[in-house]
Amino acid sequence: MPRIFFIKVGQNYIIIMSAAPGSAMDSLSAALKCNIIPNQEYLLQGSVLDQYVEVLLHRLRGLCDNVDSGPESFHDHELSFALRAQGSGAAPMVLPLRVRRALDSPESPWQLRYVGQQELGDKNRPTVVRSSIDMACSSTIVEFLTELGCRMDFEYIARGYMFRKGRMKITVSKIFKMGNMNTKPGEGVEPISQSYLVELSVLAPTGQDAIAEDMRIFAEQLRPLVQLEKIDYKRLGNMS
Amino acid sequence: MGVTILQQFPTENRTGPDTIELLSKRIKALGAMQHGNFLVDCETYTSVPQLGHQRTVHVLHNSEQPATVFSILDTGTKTIPLATDGLFDLLMMKMSSFYTSKKQTKAESKGPRFEIGDFCVKLGTITVSSNFKGILVEVEYKPCVVPAMCWDLMKEFLQGFLGFSVPSTPPTYLQNRMQELYTPIDTIHQYLEQFMIYRKSPGIGVRT
Repeated sequence: MPRIFFIKVGQNYIIIMSAAPGSAMDSLSAALKCNIIPNQEYLLQGSVLDQYVEVLLHRLRGLCDNVDSGPESFHDHELSFALRAQGSGAAPMVLPLRVRRALDSPESPWQLRYVGQQELGDKNRPTVVRSSIDMACSSTIVEFLTELGCRMDFEYIARGYMFRKGRMKITVSKIFKMGNMNTKPGEGVEPISQSYLVELSVLAPTGQDAIAEDMRIFAEQLRPLVQLEKIDYKRLGNMS
Repeated sequence: MGVTILQQFPTENRTGPDTIELLSKRIKALGAMQHGNFLVDCETYTSVPQLGHQRTVHVLHNSEQPATVFSILDTGTKTIPLATDGLFDLLMMKMSSFYTSKKQTKAESKGPRFEIGDFCVKLGTITVSSNFKGILVEVEYKPCVVPAMCWDLMKEFLQGFLGFSVPSTPPTYLQNRMQELYTPIDTIHQYLEQFMIYRKSPGIGVRT
């Protein structure tokens, strides 16, 4: 019986078949060697004021692939965890982990994601690049992470629309502070600002830098409605 | 996916391959057909002292669910199961400064997989860090997902080809869950229970 190994790439799966059931770690090593695991995120971010979001959505509807079906809406709850320990050196070791669940689709699997340190690169590099490991998981994840030793740093609710253009993903989302969890979705939450967060991202295997150029060109087409840039979190000072 | 029972089979004075051969003959005589092979493996990670009280994460794979990684976190007071996509293994590598795998603990059960009517039978050779430890037989009864409703039937089937070494009570893990819906994580719990027993056992030598 051939063993089939699935690797999720965006909306699609890559399927690797081998003759005998090898160990999962062998399949993973093979996948790593072939460089087919999407573990890099190329990212540009920006924001748009509430009163202009409709204009941006209209523009995106025209530019993106899902014209017929319209944009996909989402209503997600995101929790940001970190696993911390004092390392042998002076610097503490930190492993950030994010958990996301769809409030509007409770049956869907939850998402677990590791997001690494972002690399801004020099000014010729069009986007931020950061390592990312993204996977679906069961709803036991919050308890699992808590007992694993992770601490939740913050949580929020993101509501908005998702567009696709080839391999690019564009989200326009309103961020809300967490309200009382017992209230119905959408009730008892307070927006964090008077603007929408706009993100343009692609998840790809290492070294596919050509995609960053496509993103830069696409971001150009959204100007001046929204200015998508490489955001340097370190320069945001004490906000983190 | 139906209810699954794991059952150790004593090797007595036979070698591992001889025992598999014997059981293969018996199950084929009942009309079973071999449908490939199977593999269940388990790696155990322990938290580093800087993380506070010791916790253990068992990461298991089952060729029956090839796109899933199963993890069981054992805090000492409770166990929390987790099912994720295959990339969880990559995340465990990232966690290597917090959770380290003990050497010599990788446990595996692998061997031929048979189908016979509504049953699926797997004859597993257990190894712990490549040392032969014993024979573990897995029987799945595919049409049913409530253990209480098919235990008697499965017991009879098991006794039919394993003889009366099969106990008359269900495995301990299932005893408190006889009325619940059976899911793939229940199979993983049973494998982990068995692997823990085999890890502690002194081993049967080099009869692989």
